[in-house]
Amino acid sequence: MTHVQESTKTSVPESTGTGVRGSTLLRHLAVGVVAVVVVLLLSTVLDPYRNLQLTNVAYLVCAAAGLSVLTGLSGQISLGQGALMAVGAYVTALLLQDGGWPLPLVLIIAVVVTALVGVLVGAAAARLRGPYLAGATLAFAIGLPALADYRGLASTLGGQNGLVVLSPAPPEWLAEVSFDRWQLGISTIAAAITLVLLGNLVHSRFGRCWRAVRDDEVAAQLAGLPVARLQIVAFVVSAACAGLGGALLAFVNGLAAPGAFPLTLSLQLLAAVVLGGLGTLPGAVYGSFLLVFLPTWSASLATRLDLSRDIYANLPLAVYGAVLVLVMLAFPSGVQGGISRLIRRIR
Amino acid sequence: MLRFLNLTLGGIGTGVVYAAVALALVLIWRSTRIVNFAQGGMMMISTFVAWSVIDWTGSYWLGLAAALFAGLILGAVVERLVIRPVENAPPLNAVIVTLGLLVFLQAMAGMIWGGEPRSFPPAFGIVGFKLGDTRLLFSPSDLFAVLAVMVVMVLLGLVFQRTAIGLQMRAAAFAPEIARVLGVRVGRTLTLGWALAAVVGALAGVLVAPGSFVSPNAFDAILVFGFTAAVLGGLDSPAGAVVGGLILGLLLSYLAGYAGSDVVTLGALAILVSVLLIRPNGLFAGSRGRQI
Amino acid sequence: MSLLSVSDLTVGYGPVRALAGVNLELAEGTITAVLGANGAGKTTLLRTINGLLRPRSGSVRVAGQEISRLAVEDVVRLGVAHVPEGRGVITELTVAENLRLGGLWRRDPADLRAAMREVYALFEPLGQRREQPAATLSGGERQMLALGRALVSRPRLLMLDEPSLGLASRITIELMAVVRRLRADLGMTVLLVEQNARSALSIADRAVVLNVGRVVADETAAVLATNDTLRHTYLGF
Repeated sequence: MTHVQESTKTSVPESTGTGVRGSTLLRHLAVGVVAVVVVLLLSTVLDPYRNLQLTNVAYLVCAAAGLSVLTGLSGQISLGQGALMAVGAYVTALLLQDGGWPLPLVLIIAVVVTALVGVLVGAAAARLRGPYLAGATLAFAIGLPALADYRGLASTLGGQNGLVVLSPAPPEWLAEVSFDRWQLGISTIAAAITLVLLGNLVHSRFGRCWRAVRDDEVAAQLAGLPVARLQIVAFVVSAACAGLGGALLAFVNGLAAPGAFPLTLSLQLLAAVVLGGLGTLPGAVYGSFLLVFLPTWSASLATRLDLSRDIYANLPLAVYGAVLVLVMLAFPSGVQGGISRLIRRIR
Repeated sequence: MLRFLNLTLGGIGTGVVYAAVALALVLIWRSTRIVNFAQGGMMMISTFVAWSVIDWTGSYWLGLAAALFAGLILGAVVERLVIRPVENAPPLNAVIVTLGLLVFLQAMAGMIWGGEPRSFPPAFGIVGFKLGDTRLLFSPSDLFAVLAVMVVMVLLGLVFQRTAIGLQMRAAAFAPEIARVLGVRVGRTLTLGWALAAVVGALAGVLVAPGSFVSPNAFDAILVFGFTAAVLGGLDSPAGAVVGGLILGLLLSYLAGYAGSDVVTLGALAILVSVLLIRPNGLFAGSRGRQI
Repeated sequence: MSLLSVSDLTVGYGPVRALAGVNLELAEGTITAVLGANGAGKTTLLRTINGLLRPRSGSVRVAGQEISRLAVEDVVRLGVAHVPEGRGVITELTVAENLRLGGLWRRDPADLRAAMREVYALFEPLGQRREQPAATLSGGERQMLALGRALVSRPRLLMLDEPSLGLASRITIELMAVVRRLRADLGMTVLLVEQNARSALSIADRAVVLNVGRVVADETAAVLATNDTLRHTYLGF
């Protein structure tokens, strides 16, 4: 009898603010801070080209992490992540055209605007499933960049040539920091914030609800979950991430043009997320690394093997496509299942 | 008035191609319940094959035959090797596999034929027919396109409705397990379904090629138009695919004519989203309930 | 020689054993009823013989040939016809198309036409509704169609899974009479899975009772019908 009483006394965790959820946030914050510090230190020893590559990885991580949550966690296939990045990029370009806006404010506005677009897309998407959703977001990915060509908007949006982005210089107290390190620093901090916030979201009630809807929508509905609202929130979150990624892309590349957001970008983001591990956040990081470094590796491979220009220009895409297909064939129960199975076996 | 006539004829000319792409998508959807996002890529490969054959031999008809044959082989190989493993998996797997295939095919085409857009010769003249004094925006090539697609539709209809293999394919699409119990080799019918769909797509690719230059990314938009037409008519309905294609062709033609050609892709997107939100089963909705 | 010989058949889904060590012998030209409660494994038995399920161990032989590793399509080509639970009528096709489908694998169009004529003669309502979509048929007519579709392939072994399900008793009686005629006129071997034990026993030669995947009785139908204990315990009457 006493045995039972003792176990009940200690079994229920304290549900105050410093309970289970609090420690997760702290843990994530700690990892995020450490990661940012490591990257900043690395940037002092790496050459500008490498720093630029890492910057590219950083802003892709923002978009990829959002997509990983959307497709992997809430089960909604979106082929329009690239187009949403374009929204963030163009907002940034437009705001920075007049100059004078502080960079953090510009980034926040870009995120908010893209999130609002995400509300619209999400509302339409909430009623679609599977291939229909994929097809609709595919149309969105192809149609949205075409908006830049639209007669009425071409002057504001710069048509095919896009808008030049006047990237603000670092503030005076960082005057001795080179431009590439400044860009890397901003992007890495943004990526870290994104990952920390998403990490919390994934472990929160939202994360559990999304997984429930993904695994069995009817059961979730019967259990009383507001499915449509949850799906829209997932879309808004991933759109915000895409907006941040696109804003940083514009900031780093100094340009926001339709050509930077073709359908292949959305497909590559999806590929990165699938390869890295659908629904996981580390997966978004691995995938983004792959997205940035695969072209460089294949280029050097091609020059070493003396392959023609046609071949090495297309090699990264060929590899992405092949890997997407092969990974899906090898893990029929889903990549997430495959990877966690592997991890369980290794442990 | 003439403008309206021209836009209508133009719309039929392009609509017939959308109809063919939609038909290919519907055939595959009906048999395997998969949307073939790689359709544009498969069409592109077969069109490039046609281009190469025409380049070597100078004969349009040999090129067309080569495209159809390449489509047949490609469709069968893709189904057997790539699609078969994901046919009974969750829909996400098939979507990713077909997208991966699309990227792969585009990259392959880039490697073999390079990224430069090639021009593709038309079947017949591209100068419009003369109606009295005026020249219509409808040429012998357009007429050929319409006739070719109509012939293909009739042939497919005959195959499905009147032949033994057609009956087996329909049964395998409606009730695969029961078909197996009745001795139908369902795997082979699925391969055949994909092969036929790829042939239809190859025809569409060759027909649309003269108007636009052939390059690895040329058919991305066509996939969107074909998918929109298929959804408009109802993914389960081959007749709907054709009607949807024609309607889409006409609508986009009027849109381009009266509002400017830069709105066309957005117009297609708007139509797609509207159909998906208002009547997701399309105009020719069957009575398929959602399986729980 | 037995036409169908099942020995020590074990079929499982994960840790669950749907069938455990089932033995069954079917003599040619006989009607064998497989009886038992819901979930006893009757449908699993048929689906395994047909090839829809793979056994974990044991063997299934048709006329001496091992078929447990064959694909469904190949088992069918050995003359095994399966009328599935719930009929399995393809409602999008017409009556005639459903029938034709059953015999296409034989690649003998003339014989197929003859076989279809025989089925129309056997089941008048089918003959009258040839070109109508199968969706318009009543439950009893659908059972006729499913049975006719199996007969069109001129099988050696006919397997029926709960044919009386959802049918009025008058139609069930007619159906059983047809099955008995098939045995009498064509020498057909029949494996009849039924929950309605009484109607099955009325035409069966032998009866096998399954309970939770095991055979608990294997007697002639007459013996089983008079064994009160068995009847009460497993068959509910």
